[in-house]
Amino acid sequence: MAAAAEAVSAATQAVAPAAAGTTTDAVTAASQVAHTGLALAFDKLEYSVMVPLVYLSLAFLLVALVVRIVKILNSPPPPYQLALYPARKRPWMAALGESLGMPQILKRSPALWVALLVFHLGFLLLILGHLDILGSINLVPPASRDMLGAGGVGLMVTLSAFYFMGRRFKGSYRQISIPSDYLLLLLLLFTFLLGDLISWGNSWTASGFVMTKQDFAKYFDGLAAFTFADPRAILHGSHYHMVVLHVVLAELIFLVLPFSKIMHAFLALPINAVRRRVWTHS
Amino acid sequence: MDTQLSRDLKRLFETRLNSAMKMYLETCTRCGNCLDSCHVGASIPEIKYTAVGRAEVIRKVFRRYFKMQGSFAPWLGEVLEFDDGTLERIYEAAYSCTGCRRCMVHCPFGIDTQQLMSIAKALLIGADKEPKLLSMLSDMSIAKGEGIEETKASYAEAITNLEADVLALWPTAAEAEGAFSRPMPLEAKGADLLYVGLAGAHSIVPAAAIMNAAKERWSLSFFEAVNFGAFVGDSRKMKAIAQRIIDEAIGLGVKEVAIVECGTAFRVMRHFMGKQPFKVIAFVELIDRYLSQGRITLDKSKITEKVTYHDPCQIARNGGVIEEPRRVLRALTEYFVELRPTKEENWCCGGGGGLVAMGEMEFRMKSSKVKAEQMRASKAAIITTACENCHSQLSDLNEHYALGMKVEFLSHLVAKALVRPGQSYRL
Ligand code: HEM
Ligand code: SF4
Ligand code: SF4
Repeated sequence: MAAAAEAVSAATQAVAPAAAGTTTDAVTAASQVAHTGLALAFDKLEYSVMVPLVYLSLAFLLVALVVRIVKILNSPPPPYQLALYPARKRPWMAALGESLGMPQILKRSPALWVALLVFHLGFLLLILGHLDILGSINLVPPASRDMLGAGGVGLMVTLSAFYFMGRRFKGSYRQISIPSDYLLLLLLLFTFLLGDLISWGNSWTASGFVMTKQDFAKYFDGLAAFTFADPRAILHGSHYHMVVLHVVLAELIFLVLPFSKIMHAFLALPINAVRRRVWTHS
Repeated sequence: MDTQLSRDLKRLFETRLNSAMKMYLETCTRCGNCLDSCHVGASIPEIKYTAVGRAEVIRKVFRRYFKMQGSFAPWLGEVLEFDDGTLERIYEAAYSCTGCRRCMVHCPFGIDTQQLMSIAKALLIGADKEPKLLSMLSDMSIAKGEGIEETKASYAEAITNLEADVLALWPTAAEAEGAFSRPMPLEAKGADLLYVGLAGAHSIVPAAAIMNAAKERWSLSFFEAVNFGAFVGDSRKMKAIAQRIIDEAIGLGVKEVAIVECGTAFRVMRHFMGKQPFKVIAFVELIDRYLSQGRITLDKSKITEKVTYHDPCQIARNGGVIEEPRRVLRALTEYFVELRPTKEENWCCGGGGGLVAMGEMEFRMKSSKVKAEQMRASKAAIITTACENCHSQLSDLNEHYALGMKVEFLSHLVAKALVRPGQSYRL
């Protein structure tokens, strides 16, 4: 183990002169070799994924989400009341409580409820953690090399997603599941696993982090400033390609999300309100 | 399938896509929390009899005709095209669901399977595959509304023949003279309340005695409350059937319409017909009011056995009348016990959604095994309820599963326990 670490560190020092002035490692040196042919094509592909497609997929997500939600909520209202009784004193608060707390699941399958809590909380933290990478947001001290949760958030969503997937292979759950249920979970799982690998891979070298939160901050800030700079110049790690794959999958999520059952995230409150709002005379 | 028909059915589906329906179609995560909510699925363990299993049949059609994936990746959502096989599955989903909405209590989103089944029922009508008996009964109800003037005389005569039965339960009419001096006033101008019964005398006589005891200024409707249009999922017919009664109530200028012990009729009138110039109440609410106002008193010594109460789905969780029957029962007996589960969690009797009207005896008995077990576990000698449909189904279950209980309408127990004038109230 120690010998391997020494070898890596020796290699790092060996190429140091070639990468004068910047962080020094073998990969940086390699990336500065001019690419041709297939390698160049892959560079271009990776660049497209890391910059223009990020904008396009995010814009698509936002527009599609807004359009879909507005279309659904703006459809004619149901012709009659669909509330369940006993009526709640404050229907909207009740609907909010049910959307956030899922008491029905807590009551009938507590294990699923725990997994759901871990997953959904993890998902929210994941969104926050990604935003926090931006230089202008500092939930985690800017000097930290880790993302929010230092890999823990990734574990939360990954483990719970595995649980969801496992569940869908059992008995009745298997019978009510449709192919898109498995595919959506698979897509999420691969994205999460790559994220986990990135945060784990960061500490592979003897000198510690290869791509730190600060490096990612430079990439994110570049995106926010629309510089269209190639992030490869900032993100030197040999697992850069994993980052690219992670981003491709995330973009795929953005594209399918507005048409998937994840719409439940946005409809949970209004749909629960239909169950709670009493508007005929009592 | 004939593409014209499939185009027509798609258009029909589209007419049902209001905002709530779209959310019901889009939101299900297939979490399975409703897997054992349905009495049918709990009694016959097959996925097609679970709430999500039924709803998915409609979602699969929805994905085929209203989602992009339906065209380019139909396998993603296992879509269903309109063909004979699909229509059979739609029929099986819709007419094995009683529309009780117990599953809606358990869904983290509150998805209303009854509403999704109303799409199924509308599609079956469009394909001319609905249960013809229900359509026919709906049409007869509507025709009765149109020809009411011709039938009034014979109805009045039949009612007169029942007067003695009413007086046997309560010796006087509501008032000594004038419009309310008959035991069952018909077209009584100045009435405060219109009572809507059913075809049988059992749905009118005890109620009349109770209202007379309370000195209610009431009038008897010419119509039956039952709404076959709602059972068959034909919203046009459902409205036409309810409208007959609305017109009658407005004509008489009543302040309230009290609906006989019939869950669907009550829910349609109270919650589906929009704002009216009168209030709609379930008959059990009226009894509760009379008791709280001291207009009637009940003899508690009449019932000396354990009594339990079955919440009719359309009256309790779907109608909002939950505590009233319990207050009535506590005024009626010391021996009231709850079913377990109860109130909004109560198991459906298994006879709703038109199943009792359609016959379907074998299916009704098989699909309500959990109900029979729940009844037996209560160890009660009497099970009361406030719905005609439930009463029929509970009676059938009682016999089929040899439960040895007595099945009673709440109103009948109340009418038999009325403390008469001059009679002292024995505790
Ligand atoms: C941040 C917003 C949300 C996101 C991104 C999200 C995403 C997800 C995802 C990806 C799943 C896994 C689906 C699967 O197992 O196949 C899931 C499951 C679920 N979510 Fe959400 N969700 C959000 C908000 C909510 C809310 C507000 C509710 C409130 C009721 C909710 C209730 C559920 C339920 C009941 C499941 C069950 C999944 C299962 O058993 O498979 N979610 N959610
Ligand atoms: S409404 Fe009642 S009968 Fe229909 S699926 Fe739900 S629980 Fe079953
Ligand atoms: S409980 Fe609701 S979300 Fe879950 S499977 Fe049933 S209908 Fe779908």
